[in-house]
Amino acid sequence: MNSTSSMPRLRWSKLSEWMHTFALGLWGALFLYYWRSGKLGLLIHPNYFGLSIGAGFVLLAISSFNIIRMAKQQQRQTDSREQHQTLLPPLFMSGILLFAAVVGFLIAPKPFVSDTAIQRGLQDSAIVTRVRPQSFRVNRSSESRSLIDWIRTLDVYPEPDAYAGQKVSVDGFVVYTNNLPQGYLTLTRFVITCCAADVYPVGMPVKFTQPKSEVPADGWFKVQGKMMTETLNGKRQAVIQANTIEPIPEPKNPYAY
Amino acid sequence: MSQFNSGFTLFLSLIVEAIPFLLLGVLVSSVLLLFVNEQRLIALMPKNPFLGALAGSLLGFLFPVCECGNVPVARRLLLQGVSVPVAIGFLLAAPTINPVVIWATWTAFRDQPEIVVLRVVFSLIISTTIACIFSIQKDMRPFLQPALSRWMPDVMVQPSLSDTPALLQTGTFLLGQPGQPIAFDAVAAAAVNRPRPKPNIPWKDRLPLLLENMVQELRELGGILVLGSLLAAIIQVAVPREWVLSIGQGPVTSVVAMLILGGVISICSTVDSFFALSFATTFTSGAILAFLVFGPMFDLKSLGLLLTIFRPRAMIYLVVLIVQLTLILTLFMNLHIS
Repeated sequence: MNSTSSMPRLRWSKLSEWMHTFALGLWGALFLYYWRSGKLGLLIHPNYFGLSIGAGFVLLAISSFNIIRMAKQQQRQTDSREQHQTLLPPLFMSGILLFAAVVGFLIAPKPFVSDTAIQRGLQDSAIVTRVRPQSFRVNRSSESRSLIDWIRTLDVYPEPDAYAGQKVSVDGFVVYTNNLPQGYLTLTRFVITCCAADVYPVGMPVKFTQPKSEVPADGWFKVQGKMMTETLNGKRQAVIQANTIEPIPEPKNPYAY
Repeated sequence: MSQFNSGFTLFLSLIVEAIPFLLLGVLVSSVLLLFVNEQRLIALMPKNPFLGALAGSLLGFLFPVCECGNVPVARRLLLQGVSVPVAIGFLLAAPTINPVVIWATWTAFRDQPEIVVLRVVFSLIISTTIACIFSIQKDMRPFLQPALSRWMPDVMVQPSLSDTPALLQTGTFLLGQPGQPIAFDAVAAAAVNRPRPKPNIPWKDRLPLLLENMVQELRELGGILVLGSLLAAIIQVAVPREWVLSIGQGPVTSVVAMLILGGVISICSTVDSFFALSFATTFTSGAILAFLVFGPMFDLKSLGLLLTIFRPRAMIYLVVLIVQLTLILTLFMNLHIS
């Protein structure tokens, strides 16, 4: 190979090396940024925060050490160490890593909304009963039960009449599904087991009298009222009869566990 | 717009979850390269293809990596000259058969211990069978990415001269020695490709080399992980999960639905049992097992990573075999056991 053609190639590979070292550092910084800004909770379950935060620090360390190493090598003439086996051109790979990290900084991840809830099977009544009780506290007052607690309780003992008249106070966001008639909404929470890829929605039907414009889809509300039994879609089920529906700010971590 | 947002959140969450495991895999691979004597490693592995496949499948106990971390390690094993059944057994079984995943599955399915046991048993059967099937191919290099096979030590290829009479062969030969004439090309190739004894690198130089190797592997696999996660996120947004689940809940259809879900959802094998648990009441045990066995061996996120080892054709063989074996085992369970 003559020197005229090998020089630009060498320059490209140098550029690519700097690019991916920088990209790795940027990914590390992005992980730590998500952690500090509270966005990590949108992406994974708190149990796995440690892994991601640790990975953030390791990536930053790897990147810094590699910058030092490359700066040292700059003085010596480049030793053409045996090229690594690669599937796609290294510059392309470095570019993708760098681009994705930059996009991660520019566009903030957002919590899922009702479209996703419907897409992930909120209307399918079989799915709603998937949660298993992690803990079951009988003598808790009915008002202190969260939406998830209610669904777990109903899962264990589904007879709706058993809960009729009990006071309810639950938070969630509003989804209007096609299978409920006018005057009903589904108060919904997403449950996360590991990462956002596996979140699934759970929800309870709420009967309300307020004008629909005051209760827009995707809005977060605290619903207070009491339990009653209704037959919806030919199925007897527990429904919340709402007395008050007041808007609440979207929680920083919208998932339930 | 909301489609884009949820796709983007999905994409980031897959990466945030997978990168720690990829880092671990890359670290193990680099340590194998620089700190483990490959001759001793090869000598430890059984020569018999079946035993090798079994040993490879159980190697996960030593290197607990999930389905993103197993690729760099399996690739390193191949490069170090470990036999093919060992490497493929490891590739397929390590994400499931390791202490972390078994413990997690046990935590999730404590009241259905048969799921935990059968997950391990089915994974072991599938990985060992496929590893044995691939061991029939003596020279794996046509199956592997050229960039990888170029660096593989040439230990498994022995030039066979016995099939054709020496006079009918072309090439340069070394004569005048007892026995058959020796083809000069073969000697030259063997000399060039002989596994080079690792130069004794002083310890203080190994750490920078470890760093360099980690950076190199992270660049390639990290980029591919980004592409794989993007693909998985796009498909999850485009194909409603409701649609996958509506395929059915019968003994056969539920298995098919969960196989598709396992391939698409691309969550890490260390945590997928908690996810599967949420389906336990609505899907058959066979379907849950199909998800738990198939997901770690193949999913959209790891598609790209697998393509850094195999050529597309070999990867298709591999995936088809995994799907078939998973189907057979879990259908058998649905129809005859439970």
